[in-house]
Amino acid sequence: MRYLMTARSTDTTPAPDEKLFVEMAAFVEEMTAAGILLATGGLAPEGVRLVSRGDDLTVTDGPFTEAKEAVAGFALVEVASKEEAVELARRFRRIVGDGESIVQQVFGP
Amino acid sequence: MTPPSDGPGGGTSAARPAGAHGVDVQAAVAAVWRLESARITAAVVRITRDVGAAEEVAQDAVVAALQQWPATGVPANPAAWLTTVAKRRAVDRVRRAEREERGQADLAREQDTAQPGPPAGEADEPADVLRLLFLTCHPVLPPQSRIALTLRLLGGLTPDEIARALLLDTTTVTRRIAEGKRLLARDRVDFTAALDAGEVADRVGPVLEVVYLLFNEGYAATLGKDLIRPDLCLTALRLGRTLAHLAPDEPEAHGLVALMELQASRQAARTGPDGEPVQLHEQNRGRWDPLLIRRGFEAMLRARDLLAGRRPGPPGPYLLQAAIAVCHAQARTAGETDWAQIAALYEALAHLLPTPVVQLNRAVAVGRAEGPQAGLDLADSLHLDPALQDYHLLPSVRADLLQRLGRTAEARAEFRRAAGLTRNAAERAFLLRRAEGGQDAHRGRELGPATVEFLAQAALDPASRRSYEQTLRRLRTGLGESAALDEITADQIARVFATAWGDAAPATWNRHRGALRSFAAWAGLTTAADAVPRRAAAPAAGPAPLPRSSLRALLGDSTVPARDRLLWTLLHESGAAVAAVLALDVEDLDLPHHRARSGGAYLCWHPRTTPLVRELARGRDHGPLFLSSRRPGPARTPPDPADRCPVTGRRRLSYERAEYLFKQATRRLDPAGRGFTLRRLRARPARPAR
Repeated sequence: MRYLMTARSTDTTPAPDEKLFVEMAAFVEEMTAAGILLATGGLAPEGVRLVSRGDDLTVTDGPFTEAKEAVAGFALVEVASKEEAVELARRFRRIVGDGESIVQQVFGP
Repeated sequence: MTPPSDGPGGGTSAARPAGAHGVDVQAAVAAVWRLESARITAAVVRITRDVGAAEEVAQDAVVAALQQWPATGVPANPAAWLTTVAKRRAVDRVRRAEREERGQADLAREQDTAQPGPPAGEADEPADVLRLLFLTCHPVLPPQSRIALTLRLLGGLTPDEIARALLLDTTTVTRRIAEGKRLLARDRVDFTAALDAGEVADRVGPVLEVVYLLFNEGYAATLGKDLIRPDLCLTALRLGRTLAHLAPDEPEAHGLVALMELQASRQAARTGPDGEPVQLHEQNRGRWDPLLIRRGFEAMLRARDLLAGRRPGPPGPYLLQAAIAVCHAQARTAGETDWAQIAALYEALAHLLPTPVVQLNRAVAVGRAEGPQAGLDLADSLHLDPALQDYHLLPSVRADLLQRLGRTAEARAEFRRAAGLTRNAAERAFLLRRAEGGQDAHRGRELGPATVEFLAQAALDPASRRSYEQTLRRLRTGLGESAALDEITADQIARVFATAWGDAAPATWNRHRGALRSFAAWAGLTTAADAVPRRAAAPAAGPAPLPRSSLRALLGDSTVPARDRLLWTLLHESGAAVAAVLALDVEDLDLPHHRARSGGAYLCWHPRTTPLVRELARGRDHGPLFLSSRRPGPARTPPDPADRCPVTGRRRLSYERAEYLFKQATRRLDPAGRGFTLRRLRARPARPAR
């Protein structure tokens, strides 16, 4: 089964440093080699928001004021159970420090 | 203790109490163990030098976690916790054994220097995992023990889980694991031996075998209710990828990963809504997993690079099978499958792996590539093979080939025989349906491949082929490439016609209707033939001509490509049929006389237009005069070479496209906003009735 993990920053999330980059690169390499990590990436803070209501569609350019709510990165993983996904998110959080992750199962294709 | 309240489960909206106590500890331990058992066990074997002892020590660590974590909470780094505990216990155990041995030896003499103690040599985590794999798949072990030990020590499964996965009882699994451990101890299989390239190459074969066996065991079980069986695919994929990572110079390791990724990519499409198996050529390719396909391609390229570089040689059986899977993955529809290539790959595979099943698959491929008779000849040569006498796919393949040869009665008998041999109820029903529908050679076929086959008939002349192609393409996009021929209803067809040509001229409508009827007659579809009523030709002769002012504006519009303006000019000046103008070839042109041969007659234009014609044909001495603006993709290459430009490879401009461009250009002139049809260019003002 597949899970999508998204990470959000909070007020106390530290700025990434050299150590974080090295540890994260090793983690990503290991998980990719094992075939657990299918896709991952960081997300730009700015973005475009599309809101539809009835026949109306509003398109707004970012950045948005509630930027700290924004998803900062994601990882798509192939695992045998929810607990495995949680364990992976745990490792991820240990590397990045303060902040928050959401783990959700992905259905399809 | 710091409960992981910032952990992923501890979001603000969590209903249950955040933190360690809300987590299902047992599930958490199992998850960590499945991810980490290979590494932890390998580290422990390095200390104990004995697989049996290592397994026990590792299990002790798991038990300790189950006892302590509910009280203390899941530690921040569960894997490190388990590793530390396991290693500490392993060292304790070795020391205890040492002490006991020394105590007894004291009576006789001082202990020699045989130090089992703490690790000799540097611990090298990845290499130790590879050593552990070589150990659990060691040739001294019987195959069942290899599988059980690998699942136990590297897959992190409990004997109970292994039993469920392999459809065995737990005692059998426990026995096989114990047997494996005993044999490894008896033969003193050395764990710490150096792993040079030659050693890895020699020992990788049995590991590949175990991994692929596990994968197939899981792959075959998609229909089962117990998820642990399909889960074997995931375990096998992880083991295979780990192996390819640890032994990166082994082409066959990458070949196996490619094969498994590509097969796994079709997992979702392999069963229908009622759990019935869906054969490869009938699968909905939109449900194939592009992520896994991409990973499969990448693994295959790595294997090929090795064979072309560091490890020169011919491809091995896993890579060949992966290459076959790649051929399927590359075909956008079943009809586009490169069967000739697949047949060639199966032939190479049959040399390495001359099993009857490989030969049978080869017969299927040859039947597609060279025709049903060639396939049947091959399949018949397998008829006497005892290994296939109860294998339902042999009669099923023969039946399919016989049916395509028109030998319906024999086909029906073979379908029944196949139905009697299969153990899968859904498949049996499917085979019986095919046996009943024996008269209908096109039952169960898909629209896309059927139209391709229809258009490929030698008897069609190029002009009708072009025209039919247009109709059938619309039908395919409207109903889907994989729509089953025998399930298409008259209503569906009528809807496609109404949407596409509802406001077209009666002649256009009837031309498409004619194409539909030819196809329906060829495919034996009685419902389709009468789906669309004929339209009476409009009594008024032809559409009204365009106003002069619009015409001048259009033909003088320099933003329109020269090709289109020339086409419109020729249509207007010659008054010839649109299809005739589009069918003009460069060699038909007679520029000195301002005309071109068209069928048995001449098509003439105004002398001032001749320079434009010469300009468009410049640099070419044959091929279509009007070309599309881009080169076609391989799949759209016209079957008739006369429709392709020998210089640029572009295809002849189609009626559809030309009409579309004209409509776009005239949209603003049309009060209805739809744009005009090309036919209005050639229309002449009605003569006053006399």
